[in-house]
Order: sequence, then C-alpha cells, then structure tokens
Amino acid sequence: MLSEAAMTAPKTGEKKSLYEKKRHPFDLCMKTLIYLSAAITVTLLVGILLYILINGIGHISWEFISTEYSQRASSPEKGILPMIINTVYVVVLTLLISVPIGVCAAVYLTQYAKQGRLVSAIRFATDTLAGIPSVLFALFGMSIFVSGFGFGYSILSGCLTMAICILPTIVRTTEEALLTVPSSYQEGALALGAGKLRVTMGIVLPCAVPGILTAVILAMGRIVGESAIFLFTTGTGYDMPNSLFGHIMAAGRTLTVHLYTMAKDGTAENSLEIAFATSAVLLILVFLLNRLAGALSKLLRKG
Amino acid sequence: MELVISEKVQARRRLMRRAAFICALAFGLLPVLLFFFPYVDFNFGGQQYSLSGLTVLTASGMRVATHGGSALVGLPVLMRAAVVAAPVFGLVGAALLVMKKVVPAAVAYALCAVMPVVSILNSAEIRTDVVGLGITRVSIAYDWGMLLVLILGLAAALFAMGLRGVERLAESIFLVFACVSVGSVFFIMLYMVVTGAPAIWQAGVADFLFGAEWDLGNEQYGTLALTLSSICATAGSVILGVPVGLLTAVFLAEVAHKNLANIVRPAVELLAGIPSVIYGFFGMMVIVPAIRDFPPFHGKTIGLSLLAVILVLAIMVLPTIISTAETAMRAVPASYREASLALGATPVATIFKVTVPAARSGILSGVILGVGRAIGETMAVLMVAGNLAQMPSLLGAVRLMTSGIAVDINYATAAQRPMLFGIGLLLFIFIMIVNISFTYISRKGVQMDVK
Repeated sequence: MLSEAAMTAPKTGEKKSLYEKKRHPFDLCMKTLIYLSAAITVTLLVGILLYILINGIGHISWEFISTEYSQRASSPEKGILPMIINTVYVVVLTLLISVPIGVCAAVYLTQYAKQGRLVSAIRFATDTLAGIPSVLFALFGMSIFVSGFGFGYSILSGCLTMAICILPTIVRTTEEALLTVPSSYQEGALALGAGKLRVTMGIVLPCAVPGILTAVILAMGRIVGESAIFLFTTGTGYDMPNSLFGHIMAAGRTLTVHLYTMAKDGTAENSLEIAFATSAVLLILVFLLNRLAGALSKLLRKG
Repeated sequence: MELVISEKVQARRRLMRRAAFICALAFGLLPVLLFFFPYVDFNFGGQQYSLSGLTVLTASGMRVATHGGSALVGLPVLMRAAVVAAPVFGLVGAALLVMKKVVPAAVAYALCAVMPVVSILNSAEIRTDVVGLGITRVSIAYDWGMLLVLILGLAAALFAMGLRGVERLAESIFLVFACVSVGSVFFIMLYMVVTGAPAIWQAGVADFLFGAEWDLGNEQYGTLALTLSSICATAGSVILGVPVGLLTAVFLAEVAHKNLANIVRPAVELLAGIPSVIYGFFGMMVIVPAIRDFPPFHGKTIGLSLLAVILVLAIMVLPTIISTAETAMRAVPASYREASLALGATPVATIFKVTVPAARSGILSGVILGVGRAIGETMAVLMVAGNLAQMPSLLGAVRLMTSGIAVDINYATAAQRPMLFGIGLLLFIFIMIVNISFTYISRKGVQMDVK
C-alpha cells in the first residue's frame, strides 16, 4: 500500500537521500483538492451568512422589531413583533407539551421497562420517526388537528403537531442522558433504603439535567427553524395577540413562515427587504441558541 | 433496634388513604351525572345545537337548514357509543374500587377519560357531512361536560392508583406518558398507512407508481414525475456534496492545524442549524438568478429548475456528511496511521489508503444521513424548484415528492387528501429503506470494530 513513487524508486537503482524531497503528483493533486474542498465549504458558509446579514442588518431597527405588520401596501406598519410573539408562543407551548411527556417516557423506558425486544422495537420506531420529513407531519397535523379535531389553523394545532415531531428526539436524547448516569450512584441510593421513585427523582434525573437541557435547547433551535409544519397548521395570520390564552386558538405565522410568505408571495415593494431583515433576525436567534447549546455541552463535559 | 412507626403517622396515613378512596369513588361517579349536562356544541353557519350526552345518544340527528330545504345530519355511531361508554366505565370503575380491585378500577377510570377524545375524533365525520351540504362555516366546540369527564376520569385513575402507594402511582404515571409518546409514534405510522394505502389502491397501484401525470383538477394521480424528480435531485446533491464534504472532513480530521480546525468545525455546525427557509431564500435570491443569467443557459431556463434544487440540497447535506465523516475518521486508531507512515507511505497516501478505508462504514452512514436529509427537505426545495409536475430535466422546473405534498395540501379537497398521504407513504417507504440500511451499516461497523 505504498505510493507509486516509493515503490518504483528502488527499481531504477537511483539512490536518493532520505532528506531529499520527492515529487508525488498524486499527493499534490489530492492535497490541492482537499484544500479546495475546505475552501469551498468555508466560502459557502461565509458567503451565505454575509449575504443574509449584509442585506438584512441594515433594515433591522427598533421600529422593525417592535411594531405590528399590515398587509396593505400603503400602511407604514411593516414590523415583525406579532411574528416574534408567535414564535415565542410556539416554542414555549411545544416544549410544555413535549418535554414532560418525553422525559417521563424516557424515564420509564430506561428505569422501569424490562430491557428486551419490546424496548428495542420502540427505539427503532422512534429513530425512524425522527427521520420522517416535516412535511409529512404537516400533512398529518393538518388532517388530524386542523380539520379532524376542528382546532382550525391555530397555534394549538401547530404546537401539537410540532410536539409529536420533536418527541422522538427528546425521548432519545433524554434516554442517552439518563443512561450515562453511573449505575453505582443508583445502587448506592438503593442500598441506603431509598425507593425506586426517590432514586429516580433524587439521583438519576438531577444528574441528567445538563444532558436534558442540551436536548431542550436543540429542540428550541429546531422549532424556531421549522417552517413546513407551521405554514400548514398555524396558518399565516399576523394580528397582534389580544389575550394571553385566547391567542392559542388564533392563527399566527412564525418568523420562518413570515420569511417564506414575504419571499414567495410578498406583494409590497419592500417585502424583499422585510424578508432579508427577518432572515437576519432568524440567523442571529439560531446562532445564539447554537452557542448556548455549545456552552452547555462544554459544561457537561467538564462536570 | 426496633423500627417503630408512631401512632400519629399511621393515623395520618389511614386518613389519606380514606380521602383518596372517597375522591376516586366520587370522581368516578360524576361522569354519570354529567351525562345530562351540556356536552358538545355544534354551530353550522349560525344554527346552534347544544347537545348533552343523553341527546347525543337518543337524537336521530341534527336537522340543518340548507339552501334548498333541510337535511338531517346523523351522529356517528362511535360517537354515541363513546358518550355512553364514559359513564359506564365510571360506574364499573367505582364498583371495582368498592370490591378493592384497585388496578382494574384505575384502568376503567382511564378508559372513561379517553372516551371524550374518541368522540372528538368522530366529530370530523359530522364536519365532512355538513361541508358536503354546502355550509362552510362549521364550528364544533366541546362543552365543559366533555372536558370534565376527561379531567375527572384522569384524576380518579390517579387517586385509585395512589391507594397502592406512591411508588406504584409514579410508575403508572411514567407508564402512561411512555404509552402516549410511543402511541403517537405508532399512530402516525398507522394513520399514514391506513389513509395512504387505500388511496393508492383506489388510483390503481400501477397508475399511481408509473403514471406520468399528476393533476388534482383532472383527477390524474400518477407520481412517476415526482418520484423521478426526487431521486434525481437527491442523487445529484449527493454526487456534488459527497466529494466536497468528504474532502472537507479529511481537511478537518487530518490536514488542518488544530486551531484552524477548531474555527471551521463550529462554523460547519452552525451551517447545520440554519433554518431551511433561509437556504431556500438564499437559493431564490442568488442561485436561481445565477442559473438564469449563466451565458450557456441563457434563454433556456427561468432559473427555477432541477439544477437549482440540486445546488441548494448539496449545500444543505454538506454539514451532515462533514461531521459524520470527521467523527468516523477521528475514531481510526493512530497506530494504523503510524504503521503506514513507518512503511514509507506519504501522509496523503496514508489518508486515502489507510484512514478513509478504515472509516468507510462511518463515512457511508454520513452519506446515508445526507440522503435522508435531501430526500425529505421541503421548504428550500419549494422555493427554488418551480413546482411544475413534469419529468425531470436539468434546466426545467420540477416538482419533488415533498414539495408536491406541500403545493397541493391547500388545494386538495377532503376526498383528495388521501392521495397526498399516498405520496407520503411512498416517501415514508423510501426513508425506511434509507434508515434500515443506515442501521445495518452502523451495526456492521460496530462488528468490524469488535474484530
């Protein structure tokens, strides 16, 4: 498995010094390709980021993020405050639904269930569901929650659909976090006479909190970035919420859906500017969440 | 030392048990009373119907005034059954509780709580009936009777389980949540198969799979164009993305200085976290005009094309491939590299003849993950594909399976929506194949490492 140059050198009888550099055309070629690929990747990344930020940041102002939005072309109100509020609603409500269910399910699967065929079948099913494209969830949510249950295009329908969509990921990551807790901790607590519930709530769950938190932040990033599900379940309303709980049954577009509608069917002349500014806001949000998750997992490795 | 539980503690425990027993009994019996209270509200274009459980059971239907007279909207049989079943389960639970059969009683209460959900599911049938009569403004609200049955049933089940001690209560709560999350997973799969498969059957399996024309308006349900476009787009993006991704991974794992790699790696991770609409927007603003104005293609394309889809998807699969391949290459033991270098192979030859082959199962799973991401991507594709359902050509507009669902989701009538589930089922099968091969390869990789 030597390079060609190294194999042929002794045959020709030329004696080359160990320190003399030999030319390897294959090496040179591959090395160029490696650097070229890395350069392409970095250029793409920096290009996309800069393109969005340069075009977007100029249009972000306090007014932009603190005013309402109006469809009429003549209206001066082109802010994204309702979309920001909708995004917060969607993130909070989805996590409120999915995190307790997901964490409890993971606790059952790791602490109580008999480890066997059934549990591994469940794992396979959750893994499969984690890979299903979100448009299928959108279709499902649309038929079940929007028209089936009659919730209509509403934040509630979107949150329920999104909760099912991220549930497998939350269950899996929580399970992994729970499994990393050393069994000696649990055995020690059990030997001291603690019941199974006390061991779970007092030892296993607290030890797994950083792992669960990382999973939650990653889920937040996913909810913020999701668009297909929300486009078809929460709808494209853009009214300011008028009551805290009543808004759950109202239609409301998230930032991503706003970006999509502005870019695709924007009628106002400045809709592209709004789209750029919205995507810049989204990028900054995603970047912050990404850093937060990174910091947390660093903390986890240290602890 | 003797373990003594004081009289006081014992008395308190007895009191708590008695309170839990009474609560469980009362909460289980309340659904029987609620049978006579407002249960569900129907509002059909201004005509209001407020039904109690009893009326749901006995009424022959709801007379709805339409444009040309009136029609009788029937109540689904399952809804009537669910309305009756709730108090019956409540009674059974109470009886079991009195007979000291705690766990069966809790199960009966839980079933009682589930019944309102069954009737909610069935109200969809009423909605389609009423919409069929030409009334568009239909609202179905669930009155407090129904909500109370749900809440009381659950509370009664909890109190009943509580009689067996906190440990059993906690275990059953965890079990219920596990059932909910696993149940939702299976429900989605089942729903997709149950809705999609009959639709494919109805359209004719061969026509559905190999029919070239997809047109909801003319009831043409051939998906060949969508499937082929999806396959072409995925293959194209993988062909472009894999070499670049693999070589970048080599750069990060083997060539780059540690500090440089530590800058590039988080950047790649960030690339993975960017929402797909932003990729779509970037593609729409930059890639599509670039293709349109590229001199050799001038006048032949509007820019929205298969090529644009391939380019956007290639960018989107890069981070997945890079991070998986890099992890795999880092896992190759250093002794392999050292042995190769000691034999006189150059560093580059070592990379391509030792490290990469040793990491091939990891690299392959990265590629498969990338395929999974490319085949399932919707929004970015929707924004750059042009969305015409026609056979794929590099510069022509295409419609993929995912974007096909997204385009028609709002136009399909209730009767046509199963067809979309048919496409969904097809997509699901594709993804299952990808997933199973992923599991197979990663398992094989583990076996190789063990050897």
